[in-house]
Amino acid sequence: MTLLDRTRGVLQRAALAYRGTPHEARLVATAARLDAPLRVAVAGRVKSGKSTLLNALVGERLAPTDAGECTRIVTWYADGHTYRVVLHPKTGEPRQVPFHREDGAVEVDLGGMPPEDVDQLTVTWPSQALRTVTLIDTPGIGSLSEAVSRRAWEVLAAEEDETPADAVLYLMRHLHSGDVEFLRAFQDTEVSRPNPVNAIGVLSRADEIGVGRPDSMSSARRIAARLSADPLVRRVVQTVVPMAGLLAETAVTLTETEVGHLRRIATQPPRTVEGLLLSTDRFLEQMPELGLTSMERQHLLDRFGVFGIRLASTLLRRDGITATDLSRDLVARSGLDELNGVLSSLFYRRRDVLKSRSALLALDRLLHEHPVPGSVALSGELEEVTASAHPFNELRVLSALRAGWVAGKPEVLADLEHLIGGTGTAVHERLRLDPEAGLPERTAAAGQALARWQRRAENPMTPHELVVAARVAIRSCEGLLADLAAVR
Amino acid sequence: MAQQTPVRAGPVGGTDAVAAARTVVEHGLRACEAYSRPDLADRLTAAQRRLADPGTHIVVVGEFKQGKSSLVNALVGVTVCPVDDDVATALPTYVRHGEQTAANVVLDGDPPLREPIAVDQIRLHAVEGGGNAGGVRPDGRRVAGVEVLLPRSMLASGLVVVDTPGLGGLGSTHAAASLAATSMADAVLFVTDASQELTATEMDFLRRARDLCGTVLCVMTKTDFYPAWRQVRDLNTAHLVREGLGEVRLLPVSSALRTRAVKTSDAALNTESGFRELVRVVTEDIGVGGATRAAQDAAREVVAVCEQLAGQFRSERSALADPASAQRVIDDLTQTKSRVESLRTNASRWNQTLSDGISDVSADIEHDLRGRIRRVVNDADDALGAGDPADSWPQMEAWLQSRISYELVANYTYLRDRASDVSAQVGEHFREVSGDDLGLLAVYNPTPLLSRTEFNPDIKLERMTARKQTMVALKGSYSGILMFTMLPSLLGVTGLAPIAIPIGLLMGRAGLRDEKRRQLTQRQAQAKNAVRRYCDEIQFVMGKDSRDTLRRIQRQLRDHYTARADELNRSTSQALQSATESVKRTQADRDRRVKDLDAELGRLAQLRQRAEAVGG
Repeated sequence: MTLLDRTRGVLQRAALAYRGTPHEARLVATAARLDAPLRVAVAGRVKSGKSTLLNALVGERLAPTDAGECTRIVTWYADGHTYRVVLHPKTGEPRQVPFHREDGAVEVDLGGMPPEDVDQLTVTWPSQALRTVTLIDTPGIGSLSEAVSRRAWEVLAAEEDETPADAVLYLMRHLHSGDVEFLRAFQDTEVSRPNPVNAIGVLSRADEIGVGRPDSMSSARRIAARLSADPLVRRVVQTVVPMAGLLAETAVTLTETEVGHLRRIATQPPRTVEGLLLSTDRFLEQMPELGLTSMERQHLLDRFGVFGIRLASTLLRRDGITATDLSRDLVARSGLDELNGVLSSLFYRRRDVLKSRSALLALDRLLHEHPVPGSVALSGELEEVTASAHPFNELRVLSALRAGWVAGKPEVLADLEHLIGGTGTAVHERLRLDPEAGLPERTAAAGQALARWQRRAENPMTPHELVVAARVAIRSCEGLLADLAAVR
Repeated sequence: MAQQTPVRAGPVGGTDAVAAARTVVEHGLRACEAYSRPDLADRLTAAQRRLADPGTHIVVVGEFKQGKSSLVNALVGVTVCPVDDDVATALPTYVRHGEQTAANVVLDGDPPLREPIAVDQIRLHAVEGGGNAGGVRPDGRRVAGVEVLLPRSMLASGLVVVDTPGLGGLGSTHAAASLAATSMADAVLFVTDASQELTATEMDFLRRARDLCGTVLCVMTKTDFYPAWRQVRDLNTAHLVREGLGEVRLLPVSSALRTRAVKTSDAALNTESGFRELVRVVTEDIGVGGATRAAQDAAREVVAVCEQLAGQFRSERSALADPASAQRVIDDLTQTKSRVESLRTNASRWNQTLSDGISDVSADIEHDLRGRIRRVVNDADDALGAGDPADSWPQMEAWLQSRISYELVANYTYLRDRASDVSAQVGEHFREVSGDDLGLLAVYNPTPLLSRTEFNPDIKLERMTARKQTMVALKGSYSGILMFTMLPSLLGVTGLAPIAIPIGLLMGRAGLRDEKRRQLTQRQAQAKNAVRRYCDEIQFVMGKDSRDTLRRIQRQLRDHYTARADELNRSTSQALQSATESVKRTQADRDRRVKDLDAELGRLAQLRQRAEAVGG
């Protein structure tokens, strides 16, 4: 029986126990979540580029973006058969509301309702990308009250509350570790708490790091790598990936007209282009011979930024490059491919575990807050699922590891983290092998890992915490070996 | 397009006043030599030295990654401060004038020690993780900063541009240290980039810097990269006006354009970069301001020297011109001499005021520091008691550091103000005695020519000198800079590693509640202890630092006034000697001598007038 089935079973029995209470509907909804796509929230501070990133992931300019603060209401973007927007007010029934598209972005008519009275908006949109994931756009929180910032981070998986999102993308601008804001950057969301098992950090606006220099992305990559290794960051996210959000959004929504304009720039000698792009003022005003109006130039700047124009006009110098080629190149260079890769290995492939986790957390809270006859039995059942499901144990060890609670040699801890799927759940990722490695090689590596961790678990010198973690690792190795045997 | 005129790093500023001051100081020196007063000559030589290098400090501050180092590089037209996309500046870098390009590391101490390094090694010392940044040497000396000497004409008027580490948000350690640094600066360049408006944090820092320093400029960088910079500039100007900082000028600049302009000698691009205006403000408004102040100070020294010399001659002349009153003059001078001699002893009033004042201040500062630290500890206890330190410790650590640094800055500001008061008081008590005596010397002024400039001790001037003395002592003390390096390293010393929680807790929940509560109490106690240890350490180090600073101020003030007393004593002795001799002279001899003296006095009066014109 799979984890998802067991979770579904517990939820069904709970729905029976709560039949006739107001909570029944909630339990049914929770069970329905198991079959729906994974919910990923995009969170971060004001102006960190959340809506831009969301658009890049969907491949359409759905969420409105602006130079000023723009997203004010939590907005869900989900796949569906028709285009429609449903408004959920804080009090009262949800209702469908009219909308229009402004430059592609969905502009919702709230019907005179002030944004603070709106709980959330749900945008249903037929889209390939939204079939695997439901995205939640959140307003950034600019300042925090003392009470919020002092609230302890509950990293213990079993003690968390229910959250609307199964996983979170945390966007951050380049922050220095000596920055007081640094820690706060992770604390500003109501949809899900940061947790190294279900959160990924995104170093957004990566092109600004090198002030638009051509090597900006490699600088950003270096910084992201450093952040990923920072103990404070490791406590809250699994990894950090760099991303030039604006470039990614533009690349996936590139138009022929834009490419045409860029081609005119690309035909100029490189030195001339360099001079033109020295400053945004120069780009807007100089070289009338390009035949671009100031509005067209402004549009290019808004869509690409200095970095994007520099990059695109350089790429367009190659012979026979089409708009599609350019789009693909820009996507690759923006870091979007990398982010999609990380999302798929850390979130999508583990979606059953993440979804079960969300559902069981919701049930746990309900059982504690509103006990009914049969709650105790259900609690026991829930405990059995959470304690016996190996993926949960892996997640717990992972969060303990990330919080720095397991002591050991760095290379031993790195080995452990890989084995329990901390850097990706595919077999080669767990065993730190080449993706091309053949079956015998995989089997051999899994066997060696098993022997290694059995030794560690039995060694009387191993600290208690590491022994507990080692048992989980052994179980992971056994699972790997069983899977590999099944393939054979 | 651009005309090909070379872009220079800027004109030499304040030259007129400085040149005039230099001339009067030279004349003064010649006079000292002619009248064989090497003691007074020493005083003028010191003034000459200060004139050559007034050390006008411009401190460049701002949040992390706003382009401070790039701004400094673009300003001086050479890459001296390491610029990196990720790694930030870790130590203050002092860029000043030198005959040749050279670099030193500055080691903490009294006086600070300089160790030459290769120019391409600056990076190793000035940036984070550079290996040596902020490190403690085997001999216990801490690296406090990096000094770069450049042969740029722009710096020749004595400008020192100081690049500092980023603030890291209001309430961080670096912000506090930067504030301490601004309190000693002649001007502050606050750097913010054009990506967004000034934040509340930046605004708060600007306000504090304005209160501490007076001359504050806001520089908005990266205008080449952000298309909306004009909008941001207008928003920022509005913010500044609304916050009552309307006098702070906002200068939009692009370091990238300036660097290119310097490389290609493109004057139009230089203007476009906004640096022409910035360089003008820095060299003319700030640099000239500093040079002019130095010139005025030097000229005032000449006035004081003239006063001493003239006083001595005048009493001799009175004795010569009126032999009948000669004995009275001699009697008066003898009395004066004994009084002036008493000024040099430890029992003199100013000396008493100085020792009492400094020990009072020392006790008060210590008390103030203790009170502040105690409040911090209490607040920390409350906060730790309310939650689980295992979760809140990282925030707690940051909070503690920032709180402590702000308390230290407040304590330090208090020290500065109190020390200034003591210094002013000492000056007043010294003047009470010496001023009368100088006045006495002037009473016998028979020359109508000189009557206009009858000696009237300028109290305001005296106070200013007293304040300057304190600032000089403080500037030499490196207290503020100590904080750049001291606080973070201390946290390491006390060993506040993350507090461990057994993994057993993670595996299921049953029966663990009590164990958890017990562990929570234990963690809280552990955390509270750590906070106490840290605060004790801070109190110990800071207490010693402020005691040392005060001792330095005391020594400096004592030396200053003892030298003044020695000069006075010598003037009086010589006057007395001349007066005594004059009694023995023949009439013809006397007439000749009176004529000579009148000529000398005339010359001195002239010099004095010229010096006064420069001194303003």
